[in-house]
Amino acid sequence: MEILSSLGLGFSVALQPLHLALLLFGCFAGTLIGAMPGLGPVNGVAILIPLTFAFGFDATASLILLSAVYFGCMYGGRISSILLNIPGDEPAVMTTLDGYPMAQQGHAANALAISGVASFIGATVAIIGLTLFAPMLAKAAIYFGPADYFALYIMAFATIGGLSGVDPRKTLLSALLGLMIATVGLDPATGIPRYTTGSFHLYDGIDPIVALVGLFAISELLFLLEKTIKDRDVAIRLTTWIPDVKVVVGTLWATLRGSIVGFVAGVLPGAGASLGAVMSYSIEKQVSNKNNTFGKGDPRGVAAPEAGNNSASAGALIPMLSLGVPGSGTTAVMLAMLISLNVQPGPLLFERQPDLVWGLVASLYMANVMLLILNLPLIGLFTRLMAVPTWALMPLVVAVSFVGVYSISNSTFDLYVMIGFGLLGYVLRKLDITLVPLVLGLLLGTDMENNLRRALSISGGDFGVLVASWISIGLYVATAAFLILSVFLAARDRKRVPTEAG
Amino acid sequence: MSIRLASAAIFLIAALYAWTAQDYTASFGDVLGPSVFPVMVGIPAMALALSLVVFPGGTTSWPLLPRLFRQAMALAALLGYALLLEPLGFPLATAAVIAAVAVVLDGPVLKSLMIGVAGSLSLWVLFDQLLGLPIDFFGTLFGG
Amino acid sequence: MGSKTMISAKLAIATAATVFSLSAAPQAAQANECIAPSSPGGGWDFTCRTIGRILTELNLVDGNVQITNMAGGVGAVTYATVEAKRSDDPNLIVATSTVGITQIAQGRYPSGIETMRYLGMLGADVGVIAVAADSKYETLAQLNEAIVADASSVVTAGSSGAGGWDHIRLLLVARAAGLEDLSSLRWVQFDGGTDAVTQMMGGQLDVVSTDLGEIAGFVESGDIRILAALSTDPIPAFPDIPTAISQGVDVTGYNWRGLYTGGNVSDEAYDKWVERLKTLYDSEEWQTAAVDFGLVPIWIGGAEFETYVREQEKIMADISRDIGIIE
Repeated sequence: MEILSSLGLGFSVALQPLHLALLLFGCFAGTLIGAMPGLGPVNGVAILIPLTFAFGFDATASLILLSAVYFGCMYGGRISSILLNIPGDEPAVMTTLDGYPMAQQGHAANALAISGVASFIGATVAIIGLTLFAPMLAKAAIYFGPADYFALYIMAFATIGGLSGVDPRKTLLSALLGLMIATVGLDPATGIPRYTTGSFHLYDGIDPIVALVGLFAISELLFLLEKTIKDRDVAIRLTTWIPDVKVVVGTLWATLRGSIVGFVAGVLPGAGASLGAVMSYSIEKQVSNKNNTFGKGDPRGVAAPEAGNNSASAGALIPMLSLGVPGSGTTAVMLAMLISLNVQPGPLLFERQPDLVWGLVASLYMANVMLLILNLPLIGLFTRLMAVPTWALMPLVVAVSFVGVYSISNSTFDLYVMIGFGLLGYVLRKLDITLVPLVLGLLLGTDMENNLRRALSISGGDFGVLVASWISIGLYVATAAFLILSVFLAARDRKRVPTEAG
Repeated sequence: MSIRLASAAIFLIAALYAWTAQDYTASFGDVLGPSVFPVMVGIPAMALALSLVVFPGGTTSWPLLPRLFRQAMALAALLGYALLLEPLGFPLATAAVIAAVAVVLDGPVLKSLMIGVAGSLSLWVLFDQLLGLPIDFFGTLFGG
Repeated sequence: MGSKTMISAKLAIATAATVFSLSAAPQAAQANECIAPSSPGGGWDFTCRTIGRILTELNLVDGNVQITNMAGGVGAVTYATVEAKRSDDPNLIVATSTVGITQIAQGRYPSGIETMRYLGMLGADVGVIAVAADSKYETLAQLNEAIVADASSVVTAGSSGAGGWDHIRLLLVARAAGLEDLSSLRWVQFDGGTDAVTQMMGGQLDVVSTDLGEIAGFVESGDIRILAALSTDPIPAFPDIPTAISQGVDVTGYNWRGLYTGGNVSDEAYDKWVERLKTLYDSEEWQTAAVDFGLVPIWIGGAEFETYVREQEKIMADISRDIGIIE
C-alpha cells in the first residue's frame, strides 16, 4: 500500500509536461547515441550533463532526462550488433552472437523486434524489483565481500566455456588473453605501471570501448574485404521487413529467465550490464540449446542477453541510489551528476527526497514504454540500412567509430590501439577464436584481480578467505554444477547428432 | 598450420608476459602484490597455447593475394588517418579516409568522394556542434 | 532505391552542414576548457564541472566551459599531454588536488611541479577515520591502542592505493600513536570512499580512512561513526565529530581542490585566471556548491599558491620517504 502511494506520487511528478518532454527527448537521443559504435551510455549521459546545467533543470528533471538517455542507449546499442556485427557498446557484445546470424539469414526485423521486446520486459522486471525491494536489496548487497565477487567472476568465466560450438580451449585462451590485456596500466593497489612500455598513454590501461570497437568494427571491415562485391550483399535479397509475431512470442520464456538473471547481476555493485548479458546468455544456452542452434541465429540467443543487459542496467540503479555505490560506468557518471546538483545518494535518499526517487522510478516505467513504442516502428527503417551497399555504409560506420573514440579521448594514440585490435580481432576470428570471452576478460579482469587482492589483504595472505563465506561457497558449487551439467549435456548431444560433432 | 603458428606466437607472448610479471614488485603494498595475478593468468595461457600447437583444431583458409592487398590498403588508409588527423584537421582527413575505404570496397570513385565529403562534414556537425564533443576543425598545418 | 535516397539525403545534410560549420568553427577554437584528469565522477570531475558551470553562470567567461575527461595514471597522462601540447594555451585549466601533488612528490608524474603554473585552491575536503556503527572502537584512542598492540589485527581501507593520500593520512595517525612498523598495518584499496564504507558496513573491514564529503550520508544515517576528523577545527557541518588534535593526535589531512594551467602561459593569462577564480570563490554559488559537496571553502591563489604547492610537495616527499613508500 505504501509503495502504491509512493508510486502515485512518482507518477504525478513524472507526468508533468516538462518531464514528459525530457523523457521523450532522452529516449530518442539515447537510442541514437547508443546506436553509434564507440559511444555508449557512459558517453550519452556525460554528453547530456552540460545540457541539464545549461537549461538549469532541477535534480529530478535532470535525473529523468539522464535515465531516459541511459535506457535509450541500452536499446540503441543492439542495432549495430544485429545489423553489422558491431556492438554499439559493451553489453551489446552478446547480442552479436545470434543477432547477426539472424540478420544474415534475412531475419533482421525479427531480431530487432525480439531485442526491443526483450529489452522492454527485462527493464520492466527490474524496475518492478526496484520498486518493491530497493532498500532491502541494497542491504543484502553490502554483505557481498571481495572474495564473493571473485567467486562471481570465476563463475562468469566458467560459464562462457560453453559459449561457442568450437574448441573450448580456444574460448578459454581468448578469455585469458582478455585478462592479460586487462592488467596493462597502473596497478591500482600499488600504483606501479605494468606492461606500459614506459608510455603514459597506457597508464590508464586499454579502454574497453576502444578495444571493442577495434576488435569488431575493423575486423568486420577486413572480413568484408575478403569477399567480392557479389558475395557481400546476399543478406539483402533475403530480408523481410516485417517482424513475425510468432517468433517474438516464442522467446518469452528466454526473456523472463534473462530478466531475472540480469537483475541479480545488476544489483551487485561492480558486476553491471555486461555481466548480466553474459550470464543470461550462457544460462539460456544451457537450458534451451537442445538442437545446437545457439550461435547460428537462435531467436532465444537474442532475447536472453537483451533482457539480461536491460534488467541489469535498471538493477544497477539500486546500489547507486540507496548506497551511493555506482554499479557501472554509467551509474558512476549519473552519481557524479547528482552530487554536483547537491543530491547525495545514499541510505537517506529514499526518506529525504521521495519525490525524486519515486519520480525517477515512475519515469523509468514510462521511458520503457516510450522506448518500445519508439523502437518498434523504427525496425523497418533500421532494416533498410541493410539495403545500403557495403561500400557506402561501411566507411561511414568505420568513420563514426573513429570519431566516437577520438572525440572522447582527444588522442590519436587510441586510434592506433583500435587499428591494432582490429588486426588482432581479424586474426583471432580467422582461427575460430571467439572474441566475446576476450572482451569479457578485458571488462572484468581489473575487478577480478582487485577483488582477489582485496580478499587476501583482508585475510593477511590466507587463501582460505576465498571459501570462507557461504556466498562464495554457494557460487563455487553452482559453478561446478553448471560445468558438470554442460559436460553431461554435451555428451548426450554428441550421441544424438553424431554428424554435428565437428 | 596457421593455428600452430598463431598458438606458438601466443605461447611466446604469454611466456614473455608471465616472465615480465615477476619483475613487478612494490616495496610498499598489498599482500599478493602486483605480480601474482599476471603469473596466474600467463601460465594457463601458455599451457593452452602449447596444447594448440601440439594438437591443433580447425582449419583456416586465408584470402587470396588480391584480397589481402585490399585489406592492406584499408589498414593503410586507417593508419594514415590516425597519422594525419591532427595535421590535416578533421574534415579533410575524415573525408579522405571515408573515400579511401569506400574505393577499396569497390565503390565508384566519384560517389565515394561525395560520401567522404558529406560524411565528414555531417560527422563534425554531429559531434562538435550537437553532441558538444570538441573536435578541431582546422589542422595544425593550417594554424588550427 | 534505398542507397540513392540515403546518399542524396546525406548530401543535403552536408550542404547545410557546410554553411553551419563555417560560421561556427572560429568560435569553437577559442572556447575555455577544463580538463578533469579522471573518468567522470569523483573529485576532479566535480571540480571542473562545478567551476565550469559557475564561471558561465557568473559570465566570467564567454559561453560554456568545455569539460574534457582525460583519465590516466592518477593525472599523469594529463600532465604529460599539457606539457607536450598545450603548455601555452591561455584557455586551458586543469583540476588537481592534494592527491596530484602526492603523486608528483613520489615521482609518479613525468615531470615536476615547475612544469605547470598553479592557479589556486578553492576548497578542501577533510580526511576522517571512520568505523562501522557497531564497531568495538568507540574512540580514536581505543583504535590506536589496538593498532599499536597488534597492527595486523585491524583491517584498514580507503579510496587510494597503498602509499596514496588516504593511506598516508592513516599512517600519520598510526605513527603519532606510536606504531613503528607501519607496513604491518593491513591496507585494502577501493575505487571510492563509498565502496570502502559499504564493505565496512558488510563486516569485511574495520576502519576506513577517506574524505568526509563522499561518505557524509552514512554518517547522517548513523551507519558509520567518525572517530576523528583530520582538521585543525571541528567541521562546521558536523560540529560533534572530534578532531584528532583534540584527542591528542597531532595530525591533519586535508585534500584541497585546485587548478593549474600550462607552464608557458603568459603572466597576463595567468593573472586573468587567478582573478576569475577569486571572483568565483567569493560568489554565493561556489560557497553553496562547495559546502554541499562536503568541502570547506579555502582560498589560496596566485604566487602564494605556487609557494604553498612547492612546500606541500616537499612535505609529501618527506613523509613518503619516512614511511618507506619511496627510497
